[in-house]
Amino acid sequence: MVWRKVAIVAVTAVFELCQSAWTQTPTYGVGRAPTPEEIRAWDIAISPTGKELPQGHGSAKEGAAVFVSKGCGGCHGASGSGGPAPTLVPSKGAQPAMAMTCLAPCVNDSNAMAIHSPFATTIWDYINRGMPLGKEGSLTPNEVYALTAYILYKSNVVKEDDVLDAESLPKVKMPNREGFALPPTWKHGAPRLQGYP
Amino acid sequence: MVCYAMNGEPLRPQQGFPLRLMVPGFEGIYQIKYLRRIKVVDRYYMTYDDYGHINPDPKVTALTHEIGPKSVITFPSGGQRLSGPGFYEISGLAWSGTAAIKSVEVSTDGGRTWKSAELRSPALPMAHTRFGLHWNWNGQECTLMSRCTDALGSIQPTRAEVAKYWNQPLDGNFRVPGADNSVQPWRVAADGSVHNGLA
Repeated sequence: MVWRKVAIVAVTAVFELCQSAWTQTPTYGVGRAPTPEEIRAWDIAISPTGKELPQGHGSAKEGAAVFVSKGCGGCHGASGSGGPAPTLVPSKGAQPAMAMTCLAPCVNDSNAMAIHSPFATTIWDYINRGMPLGKEGSLTPNEVYALTAYILYKSNVVKEDDVLDAESLPKVKMPNREGFALPPTWKHGAPRLQGYP
Repeated sequence: MVCYAMNGEPLRPQQGFPLRLMVPGFEGIYQIKYLRRIKVVDRYYMTYDDYGHINPDPKVTALTHEIGPKSVITFPSGGQRLSGPGFYEISGLAWSGTAAIKSVEVSTDGGRTWKSAELRSPALPMAHTRFGLHWNWNGQECTLMSRCTDALGSIQPTRAEVAKYWNQPLDGNFRVPGADNSVQPWRVAADGSVHNGLA
C-alpha cells in the first residue's frame, strides 16, 4: 500500500513536471537549425519549370556509358526493358495506358516514364532521388542528365546528339504532355464530383 | 497537421516518429511518416511521389485525393465467428473526407432493406464515427452491409452503383476508380463464420 502511494506521488510529480515543461515550450537541448548546405541537399523536388535543376549537362552517348558503368541493366534489362525493374525503353508503338493500373512506373511498356510522364523533369527527379537502388544520391548531376538523355533518346523523344541541361531539359516536349488531368482545385466542403453516387 | 504525439505519448516508429504529416480527409498515402521537409510550391510537380495521383480522366482525378463517405462494419466482420443465433450488436466505423457523418444505415439482408443505425460517438468532420445497431440473428445465412451519408448529403455507394456510373461491367476485375468508398458486404454463413462478401 505504501509503495503504491509512493508510486502515485512519483507519477504525479513527473506529470506536473511535464506540464510545466509544456507551458514553457523548452528546446530539450536537442536539435539545431540546419545549415543552408543541408537544406540544399534535402531540396530535391524538381519543378516542371526546372528551376531547381543544378548546373551540368549530359547527352545520350554519355548516358549509354553511365547506364553500363552503374549497372542499370542488371535490374532494367541491358536494353532498358525485360528486367525485373520498371521498363525504361518501351517497345516501338507503345501507347500510354488509358488509366493507371498501378501506383508507380510498372514493368510494362505503357507505364515507361518516357511515354507516360508529362514532363522530362520528372525523369530527372526520379533518377536523381531514387537511383541506383541502394545507392540513391550517388549520381552526379552530369550523370543524371546523361541517363535522362539516354532514356529519352532510346524512346525516340530526343536526338542522340541533344545535350540536356537546366535550360533544355524542361523544354523537351514529352509525348504524353497533355495526357493528364490537372488535380481539381480544392474547395473543401464541396462534393468530390457532381453527380457521382 | 504536423504531428509529434498521439494518445498522450510521442509517435511510435510505426506511426512515423518523430514527425508525421496528417491531411485529414485525404487518403493514407498523403499522411507522410518520418516527415523530413515541407516544400510549398506554386504548381503540381508530378514527381516520383505524385505517380499514383495522375490520371487522364479529370473525373477520376477528382475522386482520387479526398475520400467520400465510407463505412465498414467491424463486428461481425471477416474472420470472426458468431457463436449461434441470438442477440448481437452490429458495430462499425464511418467517416468522410469532405464532411461530418450525418447518418449510417445497416442492412442485414444484402441491401434489400436498410435500418438506421445509432451514432455512438460525436460525428466530427473527417473523423471516425462509431455506429451500432441491435440485431437478432436467426441463424440463417445473410449478408451485412453498412452505408453512410455525410453532411453534404453524399451517400456511400455500392460497387454496383459505382460500376453503373462508370458504365462498366460489375465483375471481379472491376476496380472503383479513385479513392474507393464503396460498401463492404460481410457474408454470415449458417455456421456463424463471417466472410468477405466480395470474395
